[in-house]
Amino acid sequence: MRKRIAAAALLTAALAVAASTALGATSKASANAITVWLQADATADNWKPITAAATAAFQAKHPGVAVNIQYQTWGAHLQKFDATLAGGNVPDVIEMGNTEMTKYMAAGAFLDLSGDKASFPNASTWLQGLALSGRYGGKTYGVPYYAGSRVVTYRTDLYKKAGIKVPTTLAQFQAAGAKLAKQGKKGFSPVYIAGTDWYFAMSFVFDYGGGIASQVSGKWKSRLSSPKSIAGLTAYKNFWNAVSKASKTGTENNPQPYDVYAQGQAAAIIGPAWFSCCVGKQYTGVTGQFVVPSHTKGQVMPGFLGGSDLAVPIGANKSLAVDWIAAYTSTQSEKALQAIGNIPNSTSLTNASKINERAAARSWFVPTAKNWVNVENGNILRNMLAQILTGKLSVKQAAASAGDNIESVLNA
Amino acid sequence: MRRLERSSRYVPDNAAIAAEGLPWPRRRRRSLQSRAARGSVPYLLILPVVGAIALILGYPLYSMIRLSFERYGLFELIKHAGPSVGLHNYGSILHDPVFWHTLVRTAVFTVVNVALTMVLGTLIALLLVRVSTAVRILLTSGLVLAWSMPAVVAVQVWIWMTNLQNGVLNYALTQLHIGDYSQHDWFGSTLSQLGMVTTLIVWGAIPFVVVTVYAGLAQVPAELVEAAEVDGARPWRVFLDVTYPILKPIFLILTSLSIIWDFGVFTQPYLLIEQSKLHAGNYLMAIYLFEEGYFKSDFGRGAAISILMLLMVAAMSVFYVRRMVKMGDVR
Repeated sequence: MRKRIAAAALLTAALAVAASTALGATSKASANAITVWLQADATADNWKPITAAATAAFQAKHPGVAVNIQYQTWGAHLQKFDATLAGGNVPDVIEMGNTEMTKYMAAGAFLDLSGDKASFPNASTWLQGLALSGRYGGKTYGVPYYAGSRVVTYRTDLYKKAGIKVPTTLAQFQAAGAKLAKQGKKGFSPVYIAGTDWYFAMSFVFDYGGGIASQVSGKWKSRLSSPKSIAGLTAYKNFWNAVSKASKTGTENNPQPYDVYAQGQAAAIIGPAWFSCCVGKQYTGVTGQFVVPSHTKGQVMPGFLGGSDLAVPIGANKSLAVDWIAAYTSTQSEKALQAIGNIPNSTSLTNASKINERAAARSWFVPTAKNWVNVENGNILRNMLAQILTGKLSVKQAAASAGDNIESVLNA
Repeated sequence: MRRLERSSRYVPDNAAIAAEGLPWPRRRRRSLQSRAARGSVPYLLILPVVGAIALILGYPLYSMIRLSFERYGLFELIKHAGPSVGLHNYGSILHDPVFWHTLVRTAVFTVVNVALTMVLGTLIALLLVRVSTAVRILLTSGLVLAWSMPAVVAVQVWIWMTNLQNGVLNYALTQLHIGDYSQHDWFGSTLSQLGMVTTLIVWGAIPFVVVTVYAGLAQVPAELVEAAEVDGARPWRVFLDVTYPILKPIFLILTSLSIIWDFGVFTQPYLLIEQSKLHAGNYLMAIYLFEEGYFKSDFGRGAAISILMLLMVAAMSVFYVRRMVKMGDVR
């Protein structure tokens, strides 16, 4: 009996100690630790050493400061961030998609880093597209982290067998696909493109000189119904119908294009250059990459310049956050990010011999409106593409209705 | 029939005995004061529950009502304060055509889901009475397994089965020569998307209906059914005139509960249709609320939508609660 009481007392004491240390940890968090939210992309085996090296460099300067890296997913991180903004306990550094920045900068969610630009390596040569996504009202809130472009990953053996050379125009690319379509099995895609992959579809729009929306005397106007945009959307529809057997309403991340490729159901896929990682063992030796060709000979198709910025939310420990970001975006760190297939944040580091950086030669970006992210989350462009491909609406009708929706969201 | 039903129900339950209290003579001697004290006992007993509900539901509800009268977006969230805008949020919702379309869509969706759940559930329950014990155990365990499957897991299974490229559903339908379903997109149109959500919800909701109705069927006196059959009644008439009147209270409760559940359903449609395929043309109420409130970071408007939804569900619940109370009164 006495033993049991002793055990219970011990347990209680242990719990009490654990509780008090836990409390102690949170109260000291601001001074002795920083929290960093990165996207789960950075959990890859070849990515982790880069974050670890940055943290080590940071800790050499700030001994004893713990860096607590928490990995987030693209789909849920903004809701989580909103919750921390409402309830406190914001991260000290947060990775933001470049299309997500404007809404949060406009709402005042981030600290102004304009005065700290000198702390960041290569700040004078930041990639312009990325640097712009981190600026609002003349102030800098986001530090360019890395960018990504899209290239074609394809089966060299199938192209060789069919006697097809690497296409240099969109028409050749489409003809190559049509040729392979005749030889493939049912459900085989010469170029696997999810129907509502709006990043790829909008590249056609920009290639034909169109656009999504632009500001006219303070109001956002849709450009989707302009003749050039309609030409681009029509070209996308024709291309898609000729080469893809993917779901007309499907999205580019479900299933992952490289999984479709690895299962032998596609001769080519569109996506980041690192897609070559995951094409399956049997195809590693017969996989090549080329830049998506434009409909104009000798040019590349403008691609969506995706990328991430690092920002410091209000209420964060700014000086520590800035030092960690500086360590993580150092020349050495950016070179390591480049080595694993990303585009580094500075023109002083870019290398035209790399295919993904060549693909970024022409690029487009979404309208920099504070409500743009609502257009994305409202799936307005995806729905338009689904309507076009399923034939529910004509290209003109779908573009007009999407344009109306975009205007009402952007001007709200 | 009606009289029979009533007389069979005349069994004073424990609650009734408790309310009537002790026999007359002793009660008469009690003072007025102690009688008042006795009268307050039920209220004292219910107080902790009321307190807990007020704390858990009342306060958040109060906050939400307050929020629904404020402009509260990302900017205000960061400032931790929003200016009052009166009825503006409600006005903007009631003038939003998406709200009305969503409301009609959700109403039709609810009717279809509840009807399918109730009809199929009742049919399976009637079947359970007739089959052998072994089959009954097999069926019941299958139903309980379906009932205990978490919605998120069920959605994953549905997604796999209906996969465009390699799904078993397309494969089976093609192999059975029902048509060429290879590459058939089950999420290609709004009707098809909501149809898939309906199959998932009905599948998940049937077990509860079956088990409850089956338990209710045990109350139907076998002699009555036999007598009706002797009189020449066909199965459908027996169900309509004997079984249904006796089970009516159960049907009412199940239907009311199903309406409340299906009207506000979120998990299944949100996960099955996927966020990237949701747009103003296929919203259900709860999804509309989530997209407007959270995705657009318009928390004031989101709160106003929830209050409107709450009022609608409350209106439906009033019917349900009144029925419950009336049933309790049967004497």
